[in-house]
Amino acid sequence: MAIRTILISFFATLAGVGSTFAAGLPQHAPTLTPEGFPFPISNSMVMVWMAAAIIILFAQVATRKMALVPTGLQNFAEWLVESLYNFLKGILGEHLVKRTFWFFGTIFILILVNNWIGLLPGVGTVGWDAHGHEHVSHPLMRGGNADLNMTLAMSLTFAVLWLYWAITENGVKGFFAHIFAPKGKFGGPMKIMMILVFGMVGLIEVASIALRPVALSFRLYGNIFAGENLLEGMMMLGLPNWLMWLPPLPFYFLELLVGVIQALVFMLLTAVFLKLICEHDDHDEDHAH
Amino acid sequence: MFQIINILAAAPAQAAVEGEGVVQEIARTFGLNGPMFFSQCVSFFIVILLLKKFAFGPILNMLELRSKRIEEGEEKLKRIEKQLAESEESTKIVLAEANSQAQRLIDESKESAAHINEQATQKALAEAAQIKERAQKDAENQVQQMRAELKQEFGRLVAATTTQVTGKVLTDADQDRINKEALASVEG
Repeated sequence: MAIRTILISFFATLAGVGSTFAAGLPQHAPTLTPEGFPFPISNSMVMVWMAAAIIILFAQVATRKMALVPTGLQNFAEWLVESLYNFLKGILGEHLVKRTFWFFGTIFILILVNNWIGLLPGVGTVGWDAHGHEHVSHPLMRGGNADLNMTLAMSLTFAVLWLYWAITENGVKGFFAHIFAPKGKFGGPMKIMMILVFGMVGLIEVASIALRPVALSFRLYGNIFAGENLLEGMMMLGLPNWLMWLPPLPFYFLELLVGVIQALVFMLLTAVFLKLICEHDDHDEDHAH
Repeated sequence: MFQIINILAAAPAQAAVEGEGVVQEIARTFGLNGPMFFSQCVSFFIVILLLKKFAFGPILNMLELRSKRIEEGEEKLKRIEKQLAESEESTKIVLAEANSQAQRLIDESKESAAHINEQATQKALAEAAQIKERAQKDAENQVQQMRAELKQEFGRLVAATTTQVTGKVLTDADQDRINKEALASVEG
């Protein structure tokens, strides 16, 4: 029972939703489709599609009249993508970034746009109260990343792609050797000991790898959901209606920053996880020399 | 803070009442459920493919095209620079060869001119010597001729004078003897 309490409190704290259990937005995104619908659609999912539509529309407008010497929107779009590409190239290297940029670039832009459009007035605050309380229990719109299903979907998609990329880059043998094989050259009894030690380290590494999607999804969900609740909480401080907009105003700037940071953190962590598994020891030794 | 404590206190009791496991309780608390998660996965996959095709695709293609053009431009520039260097080098070689040939021609011309000059000088000297010799011969001939003519005239005058003075017609032998005697006295 104690373990259960600790676990629940851990995830609640990790997600930053402790103060919003009793009031504020619900922890889960309400579905817009009828009960039992085989492909349920939540309000957060709609926001993700909206974010995707905004990005596609922007990209299409920016690339409608592509010129070799870019100007205006094309210039901005190219600057954004190229900066992101070069940034990731610094982490992943030339080869990996060519293979994986479509994912990491998309992840960053999608999370960023989702986080920012989640701050638009009305998102998370306009809806209906299904429980007869004084707060909105079913918002019509909800930040895309304020839904654990969405963040977990992103994390697990990455986990699958990570496994695919890791195996195609290292080979099956190399993949397992990367996790379990002793690093360095040992002989005699020391070798046996190192095999045991690195075997144990490998098991811990496997547990760490298995927990990565959980940490990634809860971190993003918690930050964004907590941000939305913070804004709503600030609005409900009890000021007169005509002044309700004032308290959350400074926090909007904070949330804009959080939106960028969380998008960056998610992309950076996923990129680093991939780099770690695809890094070859011989390269390390070359660098060391 | 009170809310967190209340939740933490209520959570085990609630879980115990409902008989849920930890994972189920976490899933229920945060709204995780199979159909919704599956929908989100499909939705995310579709979104990511759409973004890859319609958002990143055109921009990345343009960036790739531009970097290819830049690479080609740099390659061309390198090629042109190389060709220019080669051209400069070959020009230098050609110029050096031309200079060398010109110098050789000048030297040859100088040598040839000196030779011709020498030849001309020698020829002129020879001609001058010939002319001088010829002039000397002519002068000698003329002197001889004049001497002969003078001798004849002198003989004739002596003979004429002797004839007039003596009133005697001189024979050829007389005339020849008188001439020789007169000439001997004049030359002597």
